[in-house]
Amino acid sequence: MKSLLVSFFLCFASILTYGQDYEIKGVVSDNSGTPLPGVSVVIKNTDKGASTDFDGNFALSNVKNGETLVFSYLGFATKEIVIKNSTFLNVSLNEDTESLDEVVVVGYGTQKKREVTGAVSVVDSKTLEDLKPVKMEQALQGTVSGVNVTTTSGSPGADINIRIRGIATNGDNKPLTIIDGYVGELGLLNPNDVETITVLKDAQAAIYGSTAANGVILITTKMGKKNAKAKISFNSYVGFQETSRKLNVLNATEYAALLNESYANGGDPLPYPNLSGIGNGTDWQDEVFGDAVPIISHDLSMSGGSEKITYAISGSHLDQEGIIGGKKSGFLRNTARISLGAELSEKLKLKSNVIYTYFNRKSLPEGGNASVLMNAVNAPSTLSPYDTNGDFTIFPLGRLGNEMINPLSQIENSYNDYNFKKLSGNFGLDYQLLDELVITSSIGFNTSNSEGKSFAKIIDYGGKVFDVTRSSVSQNAVNNNDYSFDLYATYIKEIADHKIVGTLGNTIFKEWGNGLYATGYDIPNNTWSNADISLANGAPAPGVIPVGSYTFDERKLSYFGRVQYDFKGKYLVSAMIRRDASTKFGPGNKVAYFPSFTAGWILSDESFFGKSSVINFMKLRGSYGTLGNDRIPTNGYISQLSGEATYVFDGALVNGVATGQIPNPDLKWEEAQKFDVGLDMKLLNNKVNVVADYFIDTRADLLIPYIPVSGILGAAAPGASSPTINAGTVKNSGLEFSIDYKNNFSDDFSMSIGYNVTFLKNEVTEINGTDFIEGGVFSIGQPAPSRMEVGQPIGYFYGYQTDGIFQNQAEVDAHPSQADLGAQSAPGDFRYVDTNNDNVIDVKDRVNIGDPIPEATMGLNLQFNYKALDFSMYTFASVGNDMVRNYESIAPDANQLNYVLDRWRGEGSTNTNPRVTTGASVNNVFSTYYVEDASYVRIQNIQLGYTINSKVSEKIGATKLRVYASANNLYTFTKYRGYDPGASSGAPIGGGIDDGFYPIPRTYMVGLNINF
Amino acid sequence: MKKYIFITISIIAVFSALTISCTDDFVDRPVEYSIDSENYFNSQAEYESALIGAYDLLQSTFVNVLMGEFASDNTVCGGNGPTDVPGYQQVDDMIHTPVNTEIKKVWDWMFAGVQRSNYILEFKDNIEFEGKNQIIAEARFLRAYYHFELVKWFGPIPMKGDARFTPGDETSIPRSSVTDVYAAIEDDLIFASENLNPMPSQAGRATRGAALALLGKAYLYEASYLDNVLNSESNSGEKYQLAALRLQQVIDNEGYSLVSDFNDIFEMAGENGPESVFEIQYTDVEGGSYGYMQAIEGNVAVGFAGPNSYEGPFFESGNNFNLPTQKIVDAFEDGDLRKEVTILDMDAWVIEHPEVTYTKQNEHTGYFNRKYIPRKRSEDAAQDYKLTNPNNYRAIRYADVLLMAAEAYNKSGNDPQALINLNLVRDRAFGDENHRITMTDTNLYNAILAERRVEFAGEGFRFFDLVRTGRAAQEIDGFTPNKNEVFPIPLEEIQFAGGNWSQNQNY
Repeated sequence: MKSLLVSFFLCFASILTYGQDYEIKGVVSDNSGTPLPGVSVVIKNTDKGASTDFDGNFALSNVKNGETLVFSYLGFATKEIVIKNSTFLNVSLNEDTESLDEVVVVGYGTQKKREVTGAVSVVDSKTLEDLKPVKMEQALQGTVSGVNVTTTSGSPGADINIRIRGIATNGDNKPLTIIDGYVGELGLLNPNDVETITVLKDAQAAIYGSTAANGVILITTKMGKKNAKAKISFNSYVGFQETSRKLNVLNATEYAALLNESYANGGDPLPYPNLSGIGNGTDWQDEVFGDAVPIISHDLSMSGGSEKITYAISGSHLDQEGIIGGKKSGFLRNTARISLGAELSEKLKLKSNVIYTYFNRKSLPEGGNASVLMNAVNAPSTLSPYDTNGDFTIFPLGRLGNEMINPLSQIENSYNDYNFKKLSGNFGLDYQLLDELVITSSIGFNTSNSEGKSFAKIIDYGGKVFDVTRSSVSQNAVNNNDYSFDLYATYIKEIADHKIVGTLGNTIFKEWGNGLYATGYDIPNNTWSNADISLANGAPAPGVIPVGSYTFDERKLSYFGRVQYDFKGKYLVSAMIRRDASTKFGPGNKVAYFPSFTAGWILSDESFFGKSSVINFMKLRGSYGTLGNDRIPTNGYISQLSGEATYVFDGALVNGVATGQIPNPDLKWEEAQKFDVGLDMKLLNNKVNVVADYFIDTRADLLIPYIPVSGILGAAAPGASSPTINAGTVKNSGLEFSIDYKNNFSDDFSMSIGYNVTFLKNEVTEINGTDFIEGGVFSIGQPAPSRMEVGQPIGYFYGYQTDGIFQNQAEVDAHPSQADLGAQSAPGDFRYVDTNNDNVIDVKDRVNIGDPIPEATMGLNLQFNYKALDFSMYTFASVGNDMVRNYESIAPDANQLNYVLDRWRGEGSTNTNPRVTTGASVNNVFSTYYVEDASYVRIQNIQLGYTINSKVSEKIGATKLRVYASANNLYTFTKYRGYDPGASSGAPIGGGIDDGFYPIPRTYMVGLNINF
Repeated sequence: MKKYIFITISIIAVFSALTISCTDDFVDRPVEYSIDSENYFNSQAEYESALIGAYDLLQSTFVNVLMGEFASDNTVCGGNGPTDVPGYQQVDDMIHTPVNTEIKKVWDWMFAGVQRSNYILEFKDNIEFEGKNQIIAEARFLRAYYHFELVKWFGPIPMKGDARFTPGDETSIPRSSVTDVYAAIEDDLIFASENLNPMPSQAGRATRGAALALLGKAYLYEASYLDNVLNSESNSGEKYQLAALRLQQVIDNEGYSLVSDFNDIFEMAGENGPESVFEIQYTDVEGGSYGYMQAIEGNVAVGFAGPNSYEGPFFESGNNFNLPTQKIVDAFEDGDLRKEVTILDMDAWVIEHPEVTYTKQNEHTGYFNRKYIPRKRSEDAAQDYKLTNPNNYRAIRYADVLLMAAEAYNKSGNDPQALINLNLVRDRAFGDENHRITMTDTNLYNAILAERRVEFAGEGFRFFDLVRTGRAAQEIDGFTPNKNEVFPIPLEEIQFAGGNWSQNQNY
C-alpha cells in the first residue's frame, strides 16, 4: 500500500518535471568492490529516492542535472554526488569507522562508541591490511596509545611482548586475549581473519576479573554480512628480507693493529708484527646475513550471507625464511577458519567460529655467548670462513676463548624442528527471551598439540664447549586444552530518558594438559634424517633419567554482573563486579571480588554548550576499579617433593626425593587498582578526533615469585626455590594522547593522519621482606645488573657511574682507590664516581644508571588516497629507553665495534673510551659506559598501492584489483649501536640487556588484492 | 510450540550449569602426580630416597674447597680477568664484605644440606623398620658435615634440633655459640659412629670410620679454635684428648692405609681407595650450566682450576682459577715426591711436551693445582666439560687422620705417638725413611702443621688450619685479625633476620 503511494507520488512528480528529466542508474559498492544492498539513494532536499537491490543496483527516474544524490548506509560514510549528465554512476562508499554509532565490544557485550566510559582503543582491519603484520601483535605498535610492543628477536616466529600501560608486575605482564569471547592467543591468528582489535586499558576490564590486571585485548573475527553476495577475496604478497642493521666492526687491518696495541699495553708480544697485506679480511656479518631472503603470504577468504545465514571461510599460508640461516630459522604458518551465523528462529541466533592453526618453526642459537650472531660480531676479521679444503675454519682456542666458534659451521650444524597444531573456536547462542532480555551462552575451546625435536650432532669445533662427542636427539610432545563456558543474560530497558542495561552471568574456565620429554642417544650415521628416538638405541649413562613429564589442571569459576545506566544519553554510569574462584591459591584465599565503576558525561549535548562550530562532540570519562592477576607458578601453596635429589654411589647416579618450592599457604591475588580520567572530542565537522587519558595503575600485593628468603630455609637446594609471596607494590602513571584528522577533500583525494603519544612513569613503591630483587646477566661472572627496588623503576640498571678517563697517574693518585673492583687503575682507565663519598670505590658506589622503560612512546600514521593511488606510512618512536650493550665478547682476541678506534692513547687523547689492554683493568665492570640511550624512531611500514580501473578488472571478473609495493621496517633512526633498540627479552627485571638481539628484517614486498 | 522448547532448553542449561559446576567445589581439585612432602616417610624406601637428597648437597661443597684455597696463601684467584667472579677475587684479596654472592652460596648451600638432613630427622619416628638407625645415622653424619662447614665459615649459626627451619625462624632463632655448634656436631657424630656400618653398602656412603674421623677432626678444630681464636683454654685439653682417642680408633680398627704412590690417590683409578676415609662423589655423565651450579653432578672446582684453552696430553682445559703461588711451591722440601703431584709447573710441562698450548690469563703464576685440574675425559662426559669433571673430592684421607692424630697427641703431651703418625706420612712422601722427624713439643707442633700444609696443598684445608692455629695474620696478605677468622654473614641474611642476628665482628 505504502509503495503504491510512493509510486503514485513519484509518478506525479515526474509529470511535473517532465522535459528536463531523465533516468539515472548505478551500482553502489564498498571500497573493496563488494556491492552493497539496501543503500538508501535520495535526491537531496526531496522525498525522491530508492534503495539498492541485492546486487547494489539502483535506478532513479526523473532526475535533473544539478541535483544532488545522497547515498547513505549504516556503518558507511554518507556520500553526496552532484548529477552532471551522467546516466550511470559507479559509487563506492567508505566504511565509517569513526562513526559514533560504531559499536565497540567491551566484554560480555557491546556498546556504542559514544557511550563508552572506559579507556578503549580500537584497531580496525584496514590498519591490519596496511601493516601486514606477520604476527598480530605487531599491529599494535604505534597504532594504539598506551600499548608498547617489543620483539624478543627478529627471527621468524619469535615471541612478541605486549605491555599495556607499563610494566606493573615482576611476574607475567601479558595482557589477556579474548577472541570472540573465548580465551585465545593473539600471535597465532591470521591477521586477515581479524575485523577489529579492541584494547581495554582501564578498570572497565574488571568484568574479566582475576586475569584482567594486565589489560585485555578483545579480538572480533570477520563475519559474513546478511543479504550479501558471496565476496571472494584473494590477497598475496611476496617479499624479500634483509637485515635492518649491521654493526660497524673492525676490518682485519684495524683489528690486527688494535690487538697489537692491546697486547703491547698488557706487556705481551705483538700478535701481528707485520700489518701489511692483512687487508679487510672477512666481514662475518656479510657471511651470516642472507640477501633477498624470501617471505610469501597467500590468503583466500569467502564471505556472504542470506536472510538468515551468514558465513565466512578463509585459509592462509605464510612462509618466512630467516635472514640468518634461511630455512634453518624459518617459520611456516597455515590457518583455516569457518565462521557461521544463523538465525535459527526469530528469537534464537547461533554464532560459531572455528580456527585451525598449524605452524612450524626452526631456530638457531640466539642470545648470549652461544648465539650465531655474537659469534659473527666477535669473530676476528682476520679469520676466513673456510679453510683451503673448503671446510669450515675451526676457530683457535687461546685468547679467543672456549666459546667462540665459526658461526657458519654453527648454522650448518644446528638442527631443530618445532611444529604446533591448534584447533580453537566457539559456539554461541543468543536467545531473545523477552523483548528486553537476551540470554547468551557460549562455549569456547582451545586444543593444541605440539612436537619439538632437537638434534645434538657429534661435532668437533676444536676443543670448544659446544663440541659434542655423543649424538643425541631430544623430543617433546605437549598437549594443552581448555574450555570456557559463558552463560549470561543481558537486560535492556528504556523508559523515557532513562536507559538501563544489565548483564549478569557466569564463566567456567578449565585448562589442562600434559607434556612428555625424552632424549635418545647414538643417532645412526650422525645425521638429522635419522634423528629420532625410534632409531636411537644407545642407553644413557647409569642413573641419568632421559625422560620427564608433567600434567596440569587449573580451573576458575566466575560470576559477574554489570549495570550501565544513562540519562538522556549524556550522563552515563556503569558499575560492575566479578567474583572469581581459582585453583591457583590456597584454601581461604581462593575467592576474590573485583568491583569497578565508570562514568561519562557528554558535554556537547548540554544546552549550555551550544552549537559550537569547532567542537562537535565532547565527552568526559572516568573509571576506577580493582582487577586481578593470577599468573604465577601453580600449586605455590603446598609443599611438594619436586626438588632434585641426585647423588653418586658406586660411581653411578642415584636419584631420590627432595622438597621443591617453599610453600606459601597465604598466597592470594595480585590486585591492580586502576584509575583513569579521559576526554574524547570531535572537532571541525568531525574531521579531527582527540582522545586524552590520564591514568594511575597501582599494582598491590604484587605476587613475587621466588622472592629471596633466608638461606636457612633451604631454598637454594637443587630443584628447590623460594616461595611466591604477595610482597610488593608497583605504580605506573601516565598520560595518553591521540589525535587524528580525516578528510575527503574530493572524490579523488582523501587523507588521514593520526598521532598518538604515551608518557609513562614507573615506580616500585613497596617490597616486603627484602630490600631489592635482582635479575639479568651482564658479562661473565659479574653481579646481576638489574634491580627492583623501592623508589626506582622496576628493572632499573644498577652499576657504577663513570666520570671520564684518567689522563695521567696524578689523576689516578688523586682519586679514591678503585682496587676493590679488582685491579689497580692506570692512566687510560675509567674514573668511577665515589657516589657515597667514603673515599673508596667499591660495590657501595653503585647507583641507578638507567632503565629500559621508555619515558614516551608515540606513533605517527599517514594515509593518502588520490584517484587510483593509495599511500600509507606508519612510524613508531620510543624515547628514553636505555639498553645495555652486552653482545661484546670478553675474550681478549675478539673483534670489536669500531668505536674503539677512538680509544684513549695518551694524555688528552679522549675522555670517552678507555685504553685497550690484555692486562688487568676494571674497565669492564657494569657502568654507565655499557648503558646506551636506545631511543629510536622507526618507519614501520610504507606502502604505495594502485587500484586498477574497474573496467579493466571486470574483464577478469574481479570487482576490485589492487597491486601494491610495500616496505616493512624501512629505517630506524637511533644512536644505539646494537642491532635493535626496540628489542627486549620482556623480563621485568633483566629486560633491556642486549645479548645480540637478532635484528628485525627489513622487508620489501609486492602484492595484490583481488576481490570477486 | 518452538518457543517453549527453547525456553525449556535454556532453563535446563542454566539450571544444570549452576548445579553441576557452579559451586566452589569446582576449584577444589587434587594435585595430580605430586607427592606432598608432609605425608611422606611411610616406608623404608621413602627414607632412603630422602637420604639421597641429603647427600646431594655434599657436591656443592666444591665452592668451599675452591674458596678455602683462594682465601689461604696457597693460591691466587686468577680467572679470565680481575673482575671474573668478583666474589672469588675479593676472598682472595681478603677484601670480602657481607655483599658477596660466592660466600652467600656457602651459607645457602650448607644450610640447604642441614635442612634436607633435618627433613629426615623431623620424621624419624614416623615408622619403625629394621635398619632405620643406619639411615638416621647417615642423616646425622651429613648434618654434622654441613654444620662443621658452617661453623668453620661463619662461626655461630642458628640451629633447630631435629626439625626443619620454617619461615620466620630467622627472626626468632638465635645463632648458637661456636661451642654449642661443636657440641651438636659431636653429638651427631657420636651417634653416627655407634650406628653406622664399618663397611659402606655403596662407595660414597658415610661409614663408622668416616664418622669417627670427622668426630676427631671436629674435636681437634674446636680445641685449637678455643686455644687460638677464642683464647679460652678451659676445655681445649680435654678436646685434644678426645680427638686423639677418636682418631686412634680409626687408626686401630677401620682398616685404612696410606696409598704408597701419592700420585695414585688423585687419579680416577685411585678413587675410593684404601686411603679414602670419606670421599665426595662426582660424575661427568650429566651436563650442567653456570647459572645453577648446586645441581651439577660434577666437581665444578676442578674445571675452574684448569689451565685455560689447554691443548695437549693428559689434562683438559679449564677456567684458570686457583693458581698456586711461588710460596707454596717453595714450601716443599727437596726430595718431597708430593711436589710434582701437587703442582703442575707449566713451563716444565711445556718443555716436556712441546705440543702443549694454553692461554695465560689473570694472575698467571706458571703453576696449576695438579691434584684437582681436569684430566682427559671419557666418552660419556657431558657438556659443559668445565663444569662436569668427575674427580671425587677426597674429603678425609687417612693421611689427614694420621696428621690430626699427631697434632692431638702432641697437644696432649704424647709426642712419641705423634711422631709415629707424622713419620708414616713422611715416609710415604719421600719414599724412604731418611726424612723422619725427631722433634718434640712446639717444634714438633710446627713440623706437623708444616706437614699438613704440603700434604694437603690444593685440598681446601689451609685457610682453616691457619685460622684455628692462630697463624692466619702472619701468613695471609691482607688478613685482618679479629675479623677474617670467619666470613661475614651475607647481608641479605642480616636483613631477613630483622635484628635477630648480628654481623660477625668488624664486617
